[in-house]
Amino acid sequence: MRTYVRYPREVESLRDLSITPISESPLPPKRDALRLSQVVEVARGSGSLLSSKDRSIEVSGPLRALVPRLQRGIVAVVDGEPGHGSTTLALQFGAAVSALGEWISILDPEGSLSGLALLEAGIVAERCAVVRRVPTDRWALVVASLLDGVSLVIADAPPRLRAADARRLIARARERAALLVITGPWPAEASLRMRAEGGEWVGLGDGSGSLERRDVRARLETRRGIEHAEISSIAHAG
Amino acid sequence: MLSIWCLDWPIVAARAQEPSLEGVPVAVLVRSRILAASTEARNVGVISGLRRREAEARCPGIEIREADPSSEARAFEVVARCIETLTPRIEIERPGILSFPTRGPSRYFGGDESLVAAVLAALKTAGVEEARVGIADGVFAARLAARSSIVVPRNATPEFLAPWSVVHLGEPNLSGVLMRLGIRTLGDFGALPVGSVVARFGAQGLEAHRLSIGEERYPPALSTPPADLVESCVIDPPSNRVDEAAFIGKTLADRLLERLAALGLACTRVVIACETEHGESLERCWRHEGALTPATLATRVRWQLDGWLTESGGLSGGLTLLRLIPDEVIPAGGSQLGFWGGDQAGADRASRVFARVQGMLGPDSVVTAVEQGGRTPIERVRWVTWGEPRLVDFRGEGGKHRGTGMRGAGASGGHINAESWPGAVPGPAPARVFDPPYSAQLLDSKSRPVLVNARGDVSSTPAILKSAALPGQGGEVSAWAGPWAQDVRWWDPLGERRVLWHVVVGDVACLVRVEHGRATLDAIYD
Repeated sequence: MRTYVRYPREVESLRDLSITPISESPLPPKRDALRLSQVVEVARGSGSLLSSKDRSIEVSGPLRALVPRLQRGIVAVVDGEPGHGSTTLALQFGAAVSALGEWISILDPEGSLSGLALLEAGIVAERCAVVRRVPTDRWALVVASLLDGVSLVIADAPPRLRAADARRLIARARERAALLVITGPWPAEASLRMRAEGGEWVGLGDGSGSLERRDVRARLETRRGIEHAEISSIAHAG
Repeated sequence: MLSIWCLDWPIVAARAQEPSLEGVPVAVLVRSRILAASTEARNVGVISGLRRREAEARCPGIEIREADPSSEARAFEVVARCIETLTPRIEIERPGILSFPTRGPSRYFGGDESLVAAVLAALKTAGVEEARVGIADGVFAARLAARSSIVVPRNATPEFLAPWSVVHLGEPNLSGVLMRLGIRTLGDFGALPVGSVVARFGAQGLEAHRLSIGEERYPPALSTPPADLVESCVIDPPSNRVDEAAFIGKTLADRLLERLAALGLACTRVVIACETEHGESLERCWRHEGALTPATLATRVRWQLDGWLTESGGLSGGLTLLRLIPDEVIPAGGSQLGFWGGDQAGADRASRVFARVQGMLGPDSVVTAVEQGGRTPIERVRWVTWGEPRLVDFRGEGGKHRGTGMRGAGASGGHINAESWPGAVPGPAPARVFDPPYSAQLLDSKSRPVLVNARGDVSSTPAILKSAALPGQGGEVSAWAGPWAQDVRWWDPLGERRVLWHVVVGDVACLVRVEHGRATLDAIYD
């Protein structure tokens, strides 16, 4: 013997039902509505569905405002004048990938990257190798080898990089499904170009206070168009 | 077994490297804790485990050095070489501690006491002032005997061990439990029935139990390593450089342990052998409590090569052949892979690539950041060569970054207390730090340089900052804070006094340092 529950009106979607207050219906099918609202609650809490072929990276942290998802195998270029926040933005890419438990590498030919900023951005140091003192003539070779082994490479491009080398690196990144984030001039096309345009510092007065944070104005240029956003420059993990 | 314990070896090695430290109180630091202190410093209460500041407070004028295991190993090579004139079968445990089996040598020298006398005489010729020698059955007991320079008669080892505390087993977790159970001495622990110990504490407990009743850590029936497990590499052209040879040693170590692991074996003692272009051949045995991991083995190979290649009286030519021979193997206990985020394939792929880049550019070019205490952004991070342990740890349990990649797996150096660094620059970290810094000019509204006197009083407020590294060569200061005055080594006449400022020019924030009346641009918040 089976019992049937008769719903008071047509249920169109889960969302529709969850909005309907239970008390409004004259004869509330208590158990089922409760279960359904739980299902809706769970569905809302979990992230968007991911098909197994889609290997894009869901970005967490402040960069999310501008780049909610990152495709693997692309080249992103971040530039801007010194002091306008381009390094911080580039490190945010690293933090997004590092938070997934993947390995990253940073190429810092001049040896000027601050390790503390790297840790503060939320990059896990155990899974991040910094390559320093790279001669300009071997730069492309080193980046190509790093792309073989890690999920993301952040590299300061040398001033006179050959376009042929750059294109070879684009192909290598696509083939290995690794992200390449370039800071500085890039003589080839890129799927994503970001420019840091500075921003006002908060917390520092005329002889008082101390630097707290700033919102970096960033301009994003993709194939779809240009977007602007403000990205908080200090972002501790979590 | 006979065990030699050279007291305060880190201090001896530091003094060997810097003769000016002779007769001065010296301490050696690991992770801002004192590891060892010289006699002068100990007399005024500097003990190991103190923080750096406390040590400086107790003993003003103390010279503090970071621990450098490779220079300690290099200095210890001299000692090893002179003990080798007495017996060929020496085993080095770590720089400062060495042991060898006594049966043959003591019969040759006419008894244990005369052997000890011969060893002490040999140590004196090697220039070791303070060393203690002990003899007992088994390495563990011999090491304890060396602490009080005792020769334990044959078969009396259990009685000798009985009054020692269980802390000396070197397993803090186990000894903590034992203490709480009221089992305080090795004698009490050894009196427990073996079956119960195994049932409660497992294999680790069994090893500790064997030690406490005066037996070896592992039963004597160790499997003989198969002959073809020797890993060797011909170096062509011959190499004189430690880093090159150590790099080859690292690959050999990885290969050797991988093959051993495939056979279900772990290695506790390894012989490092080399040949040179002049036909010399040298070998040395290293022992490790527990089993060697690729990282610990590679570190030992590096130390040994450092000793051979840099110490005078070592090798006369470049290395042509390097060989690793497993000397003692045990069945591998197996190790559990990390549960959280242990993507082993990804980790292996990444470490292979990093090794390749190290091969291309030299080992020091690939580094990883380790946070440490300090006042300026540069001081607060130490760059460690990739593949070396992130923490300086003398038991060699370092290299934690290889395995699981867990966040905060004890490898991040613990919590660093910001309050213990007065004058540290607050706020977020600048993204670009310059070492050496760019020159800069910090001027007031009348274009005079901003100066700070000895009391920290400011001559005028900063109005203009000029530097080539800034966009548009700098400009007017829109906001500033400071100065943070830092007296570095105030007791030293050569110590510096520096003053740091936060200065914002337009949208660019930077860190400016004024020292000896000269301004430099130290960092940019990029």
